[in-house]
Amino acid sequence: MVEQIPNINLAWLVPAFPLLGFLVTGLANRKLKHNQAGIIASAMVLLSFLVSVVLFFILRASGQNEATVTLFNWISISGMNIPFALLIDHLSLTMMLIVTGVGALIHIYSIGYMHDDERVNSFFAQMNLFTFSMLLLVMGANYLVLFIGWEGVGLCSYLLIGFWFKNPEYNYAARKAFVMNRIGDLGFILGIILLFFTFKTVTFSEIFVQASGFQVGAPVITLITILLLVGAVGKSAQIPLFTWLPDAMAGPTPVSALIHAATMVTAGIYMIARSSILYNLAPLTLNIIIVIGLATAIIAALIGLKQNDIKKVLAYSTVSQLGYMFLALGLGAYSAGVFHVTTHSFFKALLFLGAGSVIHAMGGEQDIRKMGGLRKKMPLTYFTFLAATLAISGIPPFSGFFSKDLILSKAFEHSIILYILALGGALITCFYMFRLLYLVFFGEQRLAGAHPHEAPKVMTIPLIILSVLSVFGGFLNIPSLFNGDSEFITFLQTAVVSKASEELSHSTEIGLILGSLLLLGLVIFLAYRTFVSKSIIPAKDGEPMPFFSKLIANRFYIDEMYTTVFEKPFGYLSDFFYNKVENSLLDPVVDEIGFTTSRVGTLLRKLQQGNMSFYLFAMVAGILLFIIFILIV
Amino acid sequence: MIVLVILLIPFITGLLLLLIRNAATIKLMALASAIVNLAATLSLAFSTQASSSYSVSWINFLDINFALGYDGTSLIMLSLTSLLFPFIIMAGMKREQEHPGLLYALILFTQSALIGVFLAQNAFLFYIFWELTLIPLYFILLLWGGEGRRNITFKFFIYTLTGSLFLLFGIIYLYSLTPGLHTTDFSVFSQLNIPANTQVWLFWVLFIAFAIKMPVFPFHTWQPSTYTMAPTQGVMILAGVMTKMGIYGALRFLFPIIPAGVLYWQNTVIILSLIGVIYASVIAFRQTNLKTLIAFSSMAHISLMVAAMFVLNYYALQGLLFQVLSHGITIVALFYVVMLIEEKTGTLELPKMGGIKLLAPYMAILFLLIVLGSVALPLTAGFVGEFLIITGLFQQSIWFALFGGFTMVLGAIYMLYAYQRVMLGEKRPDLENITDLKRIDYIVLIPLITLILVLGIYPQPVFNLVETSVNTMQNLLVPVADVLPSLPL
Repeated sequence: MVEQIPNINLAWLVPAFPLLGFLVTGLANRKLKHNQAGIIASAMVLLSFLVSVVLFFILRASGQNEATVTLFNWISISGMNIPFALLIDHLSLTMMLIVTGVGALIHIYSIGYMHDDERVNSFFAQMNLFTFSMLLLVMGANYLVLFIGWEGVGLCSYLLIGFWFKNPEYNYAARKAFVMNRIGDLGFILGIILLFFTFKTVTFSEIFVQASGFQVGAPVITLITILLLVGAVGKSAQIPLFTWLPDAMAGPTPVSALIHAATMVTAGIYMIARSSILYNLAPLTLNIIIVIGLATAIIAALIGLKQNDIKKVLAYSTVSQLGYMFLALGLGAYSAGVFHVTTHSFFKALLFLGAGSVIHAMGGEQDIRKMGGLRKKMPLTYFTFLAATLAISGIPPFSGFFSKDLILSKAFEHSIILYILALGGALITCFYMFRLLYLVFFGEQRLAGAHPHEAPKVMTIPLIILSVLSVFGGFLNIPSLFNGDSEFITFLQTAVVSKASEELSHSTEIGLILGSLLLLGLVIFLAYRTFVSKSIIPAKDGEPMPFFSKLIANRFYIDEMYTTVFEKPFGYLSDFFYNKVENSLLDPVVDEIGFTTSRVGTLLRKLQQGNMSFYLFAMVAGILLFIIFILIV
Repeated sequence: MIVLVILLIPFITGLLLLLIRNAATIKLMALASAIVNLAATLSLAFSTQASSSYSVSWINFLDINFALGYDGTSLIMLSLTSLLFPFIIMAGMKREQEHPGLLYALILFTQSALIGVFLAQNAFLFYIFWELTLIPLYFILLLWGGEGRRNITFKFFIYTLTGSLFLLFGIIYLYSLTPGLHTTDFSVFSQLNIPANTQVWLFWVLFIAFAIKMPVFPFHTWQPSTYTMAPTQGVMILAGVMTKMGIYGALRFLFPIIPAGVLYWQNTVIILSLIGVIYASVIAFRQTNLKTLIAFSSMAHISLMVAAMFVLNYYALQGLLFQVLSHGITIVALFYVVMLIEEKTGTLELPKMGGIKLLAPYMAILFLLIVLGSVALPLTAGFVGEFLIITGLFQQSIWFALFGGFTMVLGAIYMLYAYQRVMLGEKRPDLENITDLKRIDYIVLIPLITLILVLGIYPQPVFNLVETSVNTMQNLLVPVADVLPSLPL
C-alpha cells in the first residue's frame, strides 16, 4: 500500500471550482450584472489552475508518481465496483495544467469578446460546465469516470456550438457534432464493458497491472483497443468521423479555441496515451492508428489550402494537427503525441483567439478574401498571430518545431515513406497558414467601410501570454541533439509507457531538420510570392476551377457523400418503417387478428348483435359483475 | 397490514371523491392520498423489518386466498407507482378539467389496481387486479381523450383484453396442474416442474399478455395512437407504470414457472426486442407529432429493458430494475413538458413550433435536462440503467450489446431533433404570447429532475433494495440449462 500523500485530497477542488462557477452563474443567471458572470467564471478556472500547480508541487515533494483520491462509491454491486475517484499523476497533471491554464486565458479573453452578447451569463455558465467536465475527463481514475467527463464535454460542445440558437444551421451543426460523437461513444462504452469483463475492473491502475499477463497481439486486447479507438476517432475528429469539427466553428470563437482546438478534441489522444500499456499489446491497432492519423493529417491539410473562412482554415488545420498526434500514438510515441497536444494547445488557442480578435475588428466578417492589410491596424494581433503561425509551421525555435520534429523523427525511424508523407503534410500546413497570414494581414485592406481596431486589453493580454508560450513552449522538451534532456518526455514516463525505439544518430537528425527547413523556407517564399507580391486573391465562390482545386475546395465532397449515403437513407428508412411496415403491414394484420379473436370470443357467448361497442361494455360489465360475485361469495 | 393500507388508501379516497363537488378540494384530496401512499411505501422500502404481508382466506371452494406480499422486485414497482402518482395528480392541478370528481376517482382506482398487481401473491388475485387496472383507465382514455378516442380506445381495449384471455387460459391450465387441492399460489406454481415440451408452447400463452402491455415488437401497434390520443394523466399512467406492469408480470410468471420455455425462446424474444429498439428509434426520427415521437421513443427504451430481462444475468437485471424507476420518472417528466408545450402553442405538430426558448427560457432548460436524462447522459439515472443493461447484454453477446447500444446514438438523433425543433430557432409570429413556467410547473418538474440527477449520481440505494431479488432471479434459468438439448430446437 502506498502511503497517503498529505494534502493530495485537495484534488477534488480542481473540478469543484468550475462546477461551483457553473452553478452560481447558471442559477443566478438573471441576477448577475454584466461582466460579473465572466469574472466569476474566469476566477474559478484560475483557482483550479492554482490548485493544479499546488498539486504538482505536492506530488513532486512526495517523491511518488501517482495518487488516487476516492470521493465516493458510484456503482457498487456484486462483482462491479466503480468508485468516483480521481487520479493525480504526471499525465493527468499535464492535462490539468493545460485545461485550466489555457482555459483560464480563454475565459478572460471571452469577457471582452462576448461583452455585447445578451446571453453572456449563459455563455460563461456553459464554459465553466465544460471545464468541469473536461477536468473529470482527464482526472478520472477509471474509464467510467473518464466517460462521464467524455460525454459531459460532448454536451457542452453541443450547447456552445449551438449557442446562437436562432440560426437553424448552427443548431444543425451542434446536433451533427453530438451525434457523430455519440457514434464514437458507443464504441467507447462497448470497449469499457469489454475491459470490465476482461479485467473485472475499470480502474486504470488495476487494469494496467493485469495487462502484463496478456501476450502481444492477444485478440481480446486488440478488440478492446479498437473499440476505444472508435471513441477517440469521434472525439478527436479523425477520419471517418471528422466532418463535425469544421461545422463546429458555428460556435463563438473562444469556444472554438477552448473546446475545438486546445482541449476537448485532444481527449482522444489523452485516452489512448492513458491506455498506452494496452495499445503496446495491440500492434494491429497501432497500425490502424498510423493510417488514420496520417490520412487525416494530409487530407485535412489539403482541404485547408482552399478554405476562405478564417475559422474554417483553422478548423481543418486542427483536424490535421490531431492527425499528427494520432500518428505519434500509432508509432508508439505516446508522450510525443501528448507533447504535441501541449504545444498545439498554446499556438492553436492563440490562432483562434487572434482570429477572434480579427473577426471582432472586422465587425463579424470571417471571409479572408475581404480582409487584408490588418498588419498596420492591429499590430499586436499581427505579431501574436505571426508567432503562432511560425510555431504551427514548425520553424525553430518556436514550440511547434520541437513537438512536430519529434513526431517526424519517429516517423523516419519507422519508415522513410511515412516520413515523406508526414513531411509533405507539414509543408502543406506551412503553406495554408502563411496563405492565411498574408491574406489577412498583408496587402491592402479590401473590405470597404470597415474600421479595424486593436482589441481591448482584456483580450490582448491573453494573446500575449499565449504567444510567449507558443514561442518558448518547445523548451519544455529540448532533445539531446540540442544538449537538452527531453524533460517533458521523461516527466511523462511514469504514466505513459512509450514503445522503445532506436534513437536517430545526431547527424541524420541534423540532416533531416536542415532538409525540412529548406523546404519550409521555399514554401513560405512561394506563399509570399503568390499572395503578397502578386496579390492573388482566391477565386470567388462559384468561379470555375481546375478539377483538383475544385475537389479540395469542396472538401472532397465528403459531407455530401455522408448526406447521400447515411442521412438521406436514414430518413427513407424511417418513412419506410412508418408508412409501409407499421401502417400498411403490422397494424392491419394485428388488428385483423385482434378483431377475429374478439369475434370468436363473442360468438362463444352467443351475443351476435353486430355492435362492437356493446360487446365492449358487456365485457367491462361482465368483469365487474364477476368481481362483485366473487367478493360476495 | 401495511400492504393492505397501501392497497386501500387510493381506493377509498377515490370513492370519497365521487361525493365531492369542488374541483380544488378533489385534487387536493387525491394528492394527499397519493402522498400518504408514497410515505407508506417508502416506509416499506426502507424498513429494516421482515417483509410485511397480509392474507385472509377468500374463495374457499377454490382454495384461493386474498394474499398480499412483496419482494425486492415488487418494491421497485410499488415505489415507482407511489412515487409517480403524486406527480400524475399534480399534472392536473391549476387546470380546468371536466368532471374532476370522476376523473380523480378513476385515477386513484387505477393506482389501487396497479398496487394490487404488484402485491398479489397468487395468480388469480394477480389476474383480477391486472384486469381491474384496465377498467378505470379505459374510461379515462374514453372520456378525457383527444381526437379519435372512441376507435383508438376500443382498439387498445380489445388488444389488451385478447392478451388477457390467453393469460387467463394459462393460469387455469397451471391451476389444473397443481397437486391435491388446487391452488394458484405463485410459490406452488414455481415448484410445478412442467415438462419442457409443454413449457415451450405455454410460454407464448403466458407471454402474449405481457408482450402487448410492454409492448414488444410486433405487438405494439396499439401504443402510438393510444399515447397520442390519451390525456396527459392517462399517458403518464400508461407509459410510466403500465409498461412496467408488463415487465413485472413477465418476471413473476415466466422465469420462476416456465424456465425451460424461457430458455427455449430467449434469443427469439431478445432479437424481437432489439428489432423493436432499432425500429422504434428509426421511426421516431421522422414523426411530426411530438407525442407520437415520444411514444416511439418510449417503446425503444422499453424494448431495451425487455431484452435485458430475457438475458437474465445479474447486470442486466440490476440495470432493468434500475431502469424501471429511471424510465418511469423520465417519461412522466417528459409528458408533463409535452402537455405544457401543447397548452402554450395549441399544437403538438413539430413543424408549427420553434423559438420557444426565446420566450420561455426556463421551460427550455428544464426540457433539455429531461431530454438529457432520456438520452442517458452520464450522471443522469438513464445512464446508470442503460450502462448496466448494455453490460448485461454484452455478457450474452457483443452483438446484442451493439444493437442495444444503438439507442445511445439514435436517441440522441431524434430527441435532440425534437428539442431543437420546439425550442430553438427564430421566434414565430404566431407564437408570440407564450409565457414561461408557472409555480405549479416548477413544483412538478424540479423534484422529478432532481430525482433523475440524484439517481444518476448516487444509485446505490436502489441497487441495495433489489440485490436479493436479483440474486434469486439470475439463477432461475441455471437448473434447466441441461434440459434444453432434448428440445426440438
